[in-house]
Amino acid sequence: MGSTSATIDNIPIVRLASPHDLVEYRKALVASSDPDSPRVIVCCGTGCQATGSVEVIEALRTAVAEAGWDGKVLPRIKPTGCHGFCSRGPLVIIEPQDLFYQHVTPADVPEIVTQTLLGGQPVKRLLYKSTESKGLVPHSRDIPFYSKQTRIVLKNIGRIDPFEIKDALAHGAYLGLAKALTELSPKQVIDEVTASKLRGRGGAGFPTGVKWQSCARQEGTRYVICNADEGDPGAFMDRSLLEGDPHRVLEGMALAAYAIGSQRGYIYCRAEYPLAVRTLIAAIRQAEGMGLLGDNILGTGFSFHVSISTGAGAFICGESSALMSSLEGKVGRPRAKYIRSTERGFRDSPSNLNNVETYANVPDIILHGGEWYASHGTARSAGTKVFALTGNVHNVGLVEVPMGISLREIVFGIGGGIPNKKELKAVQTGGPSGGCIPIPKKFIDIKVGFGTLAEVGSMMGSGGMIVMDEDTCMVEVARYFIHFLVEESCGQCSPCREGLIRMLEILTRITQGEGRDSDLQDLEEIGTFTNNFSLCGLGTSAANPVISTIRYFREEYEAHIRDRKCPAGICKSLFHYEIDPETCTGCGLCLKRCPAGAITGEKKMAHRIHQEACIKCMECYKSCKFKSIRIL
Amino acid sequence: MKILINGKEVTAEPEQTIVEVARRNGVFIPTLCHVPALEPAAMCRVCTVEITERGRTRLVTACNYPLRGNAEIQTESELVRQGRKLIIELLYARCPDSSALRALAERYGARLDRFAPETKECIMCGLCVRVCEQVGGNVLALCGRGVEIQVDTSFGRPADTCIGCGACAQICPVEKIKIEDVDGERRVIVRGKEAARVPLRRCSACGVHFGPVIDLKPVLARAGEKGVPDFNRDVCPACSRRSLARRLAERHYEQHEPGPHDPAEER
Repeated sequence: MGSTSATIDNIPIVRLASPHDLVEYRKALVASSDPDSPRVIVCCGTGCQATGSVEVIEALRTAVAEAGWDGKVLPRIKPTGCHGFCSRGPLVIIEPQDLFYQHVTPADVPEIVTQTLLGGQPVKRLLYKSTESKGLVPHSRDIPFYSKQTRIVLKNIGRIDPFEIKDALAHGAYLGLAKALTELSPKQVIDEVTASKLRGRGGAGFPTGVKWQSCARQEGTRYVICNADEGDPGAFMDRSLLEGDPHRVLEGMALAAYAIGSQRGYIYCRAEYPLAVRTLIAAIRQAEGMGLLGDNILGTGFSFHVSISTGAGAFICGESSALMSSLEGKVGRPRAKYIRSTERGFRDSPSNLNNVETYANVPDIILHGGEWYASHGTARSAGTKVFALTGNVHNVGLVEVPMGISLREIVFGIGGGIPNKKELKAVQTGGPSGGCIPIPKKFIDIKVGFGTLAEVGSMMGSGGMIVMDEDTCMVEVARYFIHFLVEESCGQCSPCREGLIRMLEILTRITQGEGRDSDLQDLEEIGTFTNNFSLCGLGTSAANPVISTIRYFREEYEAHIRDRKCPAGICKSLFHYEIDPETCTGCGLCLKRCPAGAITGEKKMAHRIHQEACIKCMECYKSCKFKSIRIL
Repeated sequence: MKILINGKEVTAEPEQTIVEVARRNGVFIPTLCHVPALEPAAMCRVCTVEITERGRTRLVTACNYPLRGNAEIQTESELVRQGRKLIIELLYARCPDSSALRALAERYGARLDRFAPETKECIMCGLCVRVCEQVGGNVLALCGRGVEIQVDTSFGRPADTCIGCGACAQICPVEKIKIEDVDGERRVIVRGKEAARVPLRRCSACGVHFGPVIDLKPVLARAGEKGVPDFNRDVCPACSRRSLARRLAERHYEQHEPGPHDPAEER
């Protein structure tokens, strides 16, 4: 991807010979770009590409080339990484006005060019509508989804072209590295990271400074490894970071390498992230070309080489020792060793493994100081955290919030609440082996942090956050996650392999209406055992979905087992729909929607569902405007 | 280092594993996937014990946990016993006739009929795979993942690099690997399926089949120059011993008449 015209293009790419060169080069880049020049920013994250943003860009380029500009400055069209607001994609932002257009199609492009770019007027139908006031919100800075976030690691995503290193440099990339190489000793870098109270963003929350310190103490060849094997269903924090701002991650890794005394880095990235791999390859090549990676970085004598290794689709390879095994070319299975990888990890050498988001936090920590970073968030969980907000919530997407923010603020403030006037039932955090937090009961104001989430039986995890409404069956949720883990368990150790499959058997039976009185006790026993006795992090948290749902939704399990009923109307053998003749207006909408022809009734007369024909697809239930269809 | 096992003080060297120290001191810790000759893999988890170090109590596997400082170990706490009971119940369902598991079941009060029996015929201890890697021809591997994981040869085909050493059959705690010598061939049968077939060597003296025809180079390389016994690869061990005894006897009693007929002498 490139650009049409602007002065930044006229600045040649050169090899920077010193940190001073970088600062000067950046000054030139900033001076060359006029903040008031017209720009069309198109989100080209995976989500927006899937909904057609590449076609939108093509249409824009054609339309802009064909339009008569009459002496006006030609707008620059800029593809960027994921803006986060994926449910509204493809997203287009018009600068300098900061006009936010959602669900843009190639058909909208001529109007955008004539009305906005040439005429200076917004295209009203493409603007965001407030979920509360229903009024139009033209600027992205006023949309609660964006305005309530605190962006540190996502700061440049959506502003820079990830395939263009000059754009990243103009936004401050590698300034942290330049500062460290000129002003700080490796020990001082570690001290800053320790002072920042940064904790691992991959899930376990181990203090990053302590990890670096422990690795720096070791002798011999040391490795810096980046865990980009993000596999939680519905989570895409790391993917968006790599796709949108790869240089931030590379800079964080280089800083780690400088701090621990390493010259070799690896990024273990999912092969299912082709765009991330492509941006990374381009970013590494460009950074090496400019002397920001590779040999003799910025002429300081410090060398650091990074290569990418792609996984083969195993969730378990996100576990640190399995990842290192896989990186060595062996089967990706966790190693049974009571030894930290900072002492003996990859190739039996001291290895520092951090998650993508952890590395992405480091450049700003070095640039602004550890104390600055620690001033965000809470005392025990400093800084910000990126969450992938999904499920039954209006604004699905990627959000970065300070630690300590309440779940209410995330779900209702940023997420815009629950669609279809449904009640919020639970929030699941921490990926498949996280836990479900019941919301209406007591936890809506819980402050998000490593400790607080663990206290209520869930975990921070890598940042998946699934919002569940009243139509969610918690037994089915537990069954779904356990099924995922059965598929993804490596199978070496007996508690995880056998415990999970037995729990899945029991849960499947319960959801099919064949639950037994002993099932709950068995689930609790096997679940606790699996968590206590398994070998790796996957196994020791695998039972969390079961344990947390039993803890908070026991009555729902009991309804399935004793009454043979699924209160949420999800488990098909355990409920049926009936139309309440008192409130049915006979509007006929359900009859029209029913794909099985199971509903009959005269117009304006109460309708009836024929149970033998009903396939329980939920269409009638969802369509009824009078809540006349009951789950029994 | 002050180590207490079940309240009794014992001596231990740094980096020794809990299982080593316990066994040296006569404390029983069950293991299913561990033999002292192989690197521990901690797969069966039945050796899990409770350890308190620096005020922190947790569960660790005794087979591979290295002792590094003062520690208090409980090998039979309630939590440990409960977990072992469940491991035995779960594994027994995979391999319902194992006598090793039955003995452990009795000790820990496991209900052998708790889970519906399966016909996996393997408890996934991985010993055969590890011994094959370190002693044999490295033909067995853990294939697949999750519940599908199983011991198999590459691509499930009979392996042509098996040396027929039989270490896998010897080490299997549930006796589901068999070695059958039939018609001049050795067959390695893993859970009822032929994993390899190796031609047997015929004794040039007495004519019996006595061991697999193998390329000795990797074995010799692994053993190093020293320690490799000098043996006659054409003669079976019985004939070899007889021949040696005869030579010794002849040297000693040179003046006497030759002994009885020895087939090994007629090669």
